[in-house]
Formats: sequence, structure tokens, C-alpha cells
Amino acid sequence: MQENGLPVLVIGGGPGGLEAARTVAALGVPVLLVERRHRLGGTPDAERYAKLTHHFRDAEEAIGELVAAVTTQPLVEILTRSEVIGCDGEPGAFRVTLRTPDGTQERTVGAIIVATGFQHFDPGRETQLYNYYSFPDVVTLSDMEAMLKAHQVVRPSNGQPPERIAFIQCVGSRDRQIGNEFCSKVCCGIASKQAIEIKQQLPNARVFIFYIDMRMYGYWENELYWPAQEQYKVNYVKGIVSEILPKGDRLLVRGEDTTMGRPMEITVDLVVLSVGMEPSSGTRQIAKILGLAQNKYGYIEAGGPSGLDPVVTSRPGIFVVGAAARPADLDDTFATAGLAAARAVATLRRAMVGAV
Amino acid sequence: MSVMTWSPTKGGERYREVPEERKRALFEEVKSDPRYPDFLYGCYECGICVSACPSARFYDFSPRVIAQALAREDVDRFYEILMEDIWNCAQCFSCVRCPRGNNPGGLVTLMREVAVRHGLEQAQQALQGYSRVIYKIMLKGNQVSPDMLQPDFFPDWGPWVREFSRNMAVWRKAIPVDTLRNITDAAWRTDDKTLRELYTIWFETGNMEVIREVDEGLYELLVEIMEEELEAAS
Repeated sequence: MQENGLPVLVIGGGPGGLEAARTVAALGVPVLLVERRHRLGGTPDAERYAKLTHHFRDAEEAIGELVAAVTTQPLVEILTRSEVIGCDGEPGAFRVTLRTPDGTQERTVGAIIVATGFQHFDPGRETQLYNYYSFPDVVTLSDMEAMLKAHQVVRPSNGQPPERIAFIQCVGSRDRQIGNEFCSKVCCGIASKQAIEIKQQLPNARVFIFYIDMRMYGYWENELYWPAQEQYKVNYVKGIVSEILPKGDRLLVRGEDTTMGRPMEITVDLVVLSVGMEPSSGTRQIAKILGLAQNKYGYIEAGGPSGLDPVVTSRPGIFVVGAAARPADLDDTFATAGLAAARAVATLRRAMVGAV
Repeated sequence: MSVMTWSPTKGGERYREVPEERKRALFEEVKSDPRYPDFLYGCYECGICVSACPSARFYDFSPRVIAQALAREDVDRFYEILMEDIWNCAQCFSCVRCPRGNNPGGLVTLMREVAVRHGLEQAQQALQGYSRVIYKIMLKGNQVSPDMLQPDFFPDWGPWVREFSRNMAVWRKAIPVDTLRNITDAAWRTDDKTLRELYTIWFETGNMEVIREVDEGLYELLVEIMEEELEAAS
């Protein structure tokens, strides 16, 4: 069976877009990969992630391998600092307008894969409950990733290593008042991974994780949760913090220890807000440009009439990958990237069959 | 310094047991309030309400337990809460920062309304200290003055309240305050037309019936004065 010779357009050069591009090319179909930033690698690269939950792999190395697999693939054409600004046509022959550093271009592509991903919840977006923008020693998961990557886990206020650290889970997730009613899915695993890394770098530190539910899917249970508790003695406390107050030059964290049924206050040196996911600005914009239905949270609607197709969008011939459609971990992202690649190639083949 | 706590209900006599059907009926009355669905969605026990709750810091009181007990429709626990816990809530609504959108303080409001409507003994007991406050507001339509707060009915304020009450006049002279209108007879005067309208509202809206449920003596006193005023005008 043959394709119509047109490339598949992949929008977004993060893990999902890279994996989709690699798979489409592996099936022998040309790819046009468009990335808004100056380089590939997506959020793990932009936010300087330290390690992945998968085997504690060095993120730079793992994402670097993925980038190399795409950049060395002759079937993939890469446009960085470029954006899709218009699209019409139909499956098998979409005409897209691109803004590139060399000016505006028109291209014809056979199918489109959207992999524009998420952004971290901004703790100042709705509320200053945790004083993220007032207290230097209140940081987010992504701030902590950068510190772990630099091997410099310190209190931003004074540059000293913290003795006591508290993670607060579900910041910006599972919250009707903020409007993000969904679970962001990865934060429990990431916080536990970071707690382990902190203990590896600062063995004498005490680490607390305040949670509502610890959602340790599949192997995260034995690869992250149990080692964090058993080997690294991380303290898991069921209860969410209502406020953080200054106490001398440290921070007073006030919550309820719900399993013990009593209010609890502890003094810590550093608080890490386990911020969840929201659709990235790129995801919101591309949904409008391509005319894709979005759900109430701004994610691109996927699932199709059956609810079982995680890559189908409201527009035939356009597929969505990973965190552009829902909070997603890397397993979700890679699995949907491969599926979207297969669907995109199938779209080209149907178009070719139709043309005969 | 050790912190001692007082509870107007838990320290004293406990409530009478009632049949299961009675508890169920009281629960259904709370649940059927049109506000109920907006006050209780569901609870995943994060405890943010408890950690924000001033009463939880001093009493055996938990807005989380209230939300859970009602969500589970546990009528026995509901009845315990109705009899004891609801009177320990300050109605400050710090608990409304619930990520699920619950309003545990609002649930307490609904339960208090049911307790008052049925003239439950605990409601009468808890409201005893407010009888002069109610008397003043319903007859004059304006606020209370400090000398109305009587120490006998506020054991939860601690042993100091008696001393405060005894020395209030002297202390208020010592500490400059904006107004000296701090005693009952100097409180605001409301004109007669406004008062008559107010009394009519109390009767028409059923408020007088509520007062009768919790304090019959107070009710008789109020009715006598109000009816006399209304008759004089007509």
C-alpha cells in the first residue's frame, strides 16, 4: 500500500511530538516537525528536569536520545522558532500556513498530529494561599527539578541547604474553586521521586509529603512509594495544608493530620508546591487555529464517540498526543504518540486509496 | 501556659437517646433544605477545613467529620453532631476554602435551623445566653451593647468572662473607646413607624414562632409588648 507522498505535520517538539515524528518516519512517511522554541525537547528541556520517574533516568540524556533519533532521521524536516498560524483543507490534503524565521510559508500536509502539551499550574493564578510569590522558600515542583539538576537543593532565601522540607500535593488540581477538577496524575509520583532525590543529596534532611490521596499507579508503588517510605524514611501525612506562615526565618505549615484526626503544625525550611498540569498556551492557541473542540478546562477534546480513542479529535485527519488532551505522564504520552502516528499514516493511505 | 477548653454541651449532661426514625426524620429535614446540594458535594478528607477552623483548635470539633457524616448519611453520627458539635462552630466560614466547594459552616447553619425549629433542648441551652440579645434586637431593631453579655451563659468563654463582666464599666472608661453608648438604656432609638413595621415582619415571616420553640418565656414577653404597640397604632 502507498501513501500520497505528502508529509505528516507534527506540531510540538516535546517528548510526544518527537516520538510521533520518529514513529511516522519509521513507517516510511515524511514528517514536517514544527516547534515554537529555538530547540527541541519540550517542557523537560525548558524546565530543566533532573530525572525521569522511569528508572531514575537522567532527563537530559533520555530526551537527548529522543531528539537525536529525530534529527538524524532524513525523513524528518524540522522547523524551530516556527508556528502554525492557519489551516484549511481536509484529511489527505490540509493546507497549512507557517510563520518561520524566514517568513510565512504555505505547505500541504496529509495529516496533522498535535503535541503541544501542558504547562505547570501557576500557584499565583487564583490565590496567594501559599504565598508562592511572597515567600522565597516556597517553591514549585519545577523549581525543585532545576535545583536537583544543579545539585543545589537550597533555601532560596539564604542559599543554605534545608533541614526540613514539606511537599504539598494537589496544588491547582482536584479543586472546584480553582476550576481544575481533574487529577494531574503525575505529581504524586514526581513528589515522591524528588523526595528520594533530596534524601540522596541531603541524607540528613527530613521530608514530609502532605497529600489527599497518594496516586501511585502501577509500578510507581514499588519503584517510588515504597522506597521513599522504607529506604528514605519520607513522612507521608494525609491532610492538606491550609496556610503557610512565616516563623522567624522559617515557615510554619498548618494542616490537619486527618488519619490521626488532629490539627497539625510543623516548622520547615522549604515548601515544595506540587503544582499540577494545565493545557499550555500553545495547546489553547492551536485548538483555535485548527478548529478543534476543547473541553471546559481548555484541553483538546479526545476520545471520539466511543470514548475509547485517545488520539481522535473533533476534526478528521487531526490527532492529539499526550498532555495536549489531558493530564498525562510519559507513558501516556509515548503510547498516544505511537497511536497518533499510526492513525496519521492510515489517513494518508485512505486518501491515496480514495484518489485511485 | 496550658490551654483549657470549655464546651457548653460536652462538659455537662449529655443528650437523650431517641429512636432511629426520629434521627432519620431530622436528617431528612436538613437534607431537604434547598441550600443543601450547594453546601455538600462530597469529601475526600483533605482536612483543609479543619486546619483553617478556629473552633477545631480549641474544641473537639471537626468540619471534616460533619461533611463526612452527612455525605455518608450516618444518622447516628448526624444526631450526635446535631446535639453537640454544631454549637461549637463560630460560623466564621473559614472552612469554605474547600477544594470540593463544600460549605461545612453552612451545613452547621442548616442543622442549627432544624434544631431551633424543633426547639431541641440543646438549642435552647445554647441560645440561653442570647435571650437578652434577641430581646433587644427584636424589640429595638438594633445591635447589642457590651453589658448584655452575661457570664453565666457563656462558660465556653472561660473563667475570665466573669471578671471582664464585673469590671467592664471601669475598664471601658480606662480604655478610650469611640462611643460611650455601651449600655442598654443608651442604645439607639428607633422611630415608632419603623418598629411597627419590624414587629409585623417578625410575625409574618414566622420568626415569632421560632422564638416560641426555643424560649416560651421570652416569646410571651415580646408578644405582649409588640401587640400592644401594634394595637396602639391601629
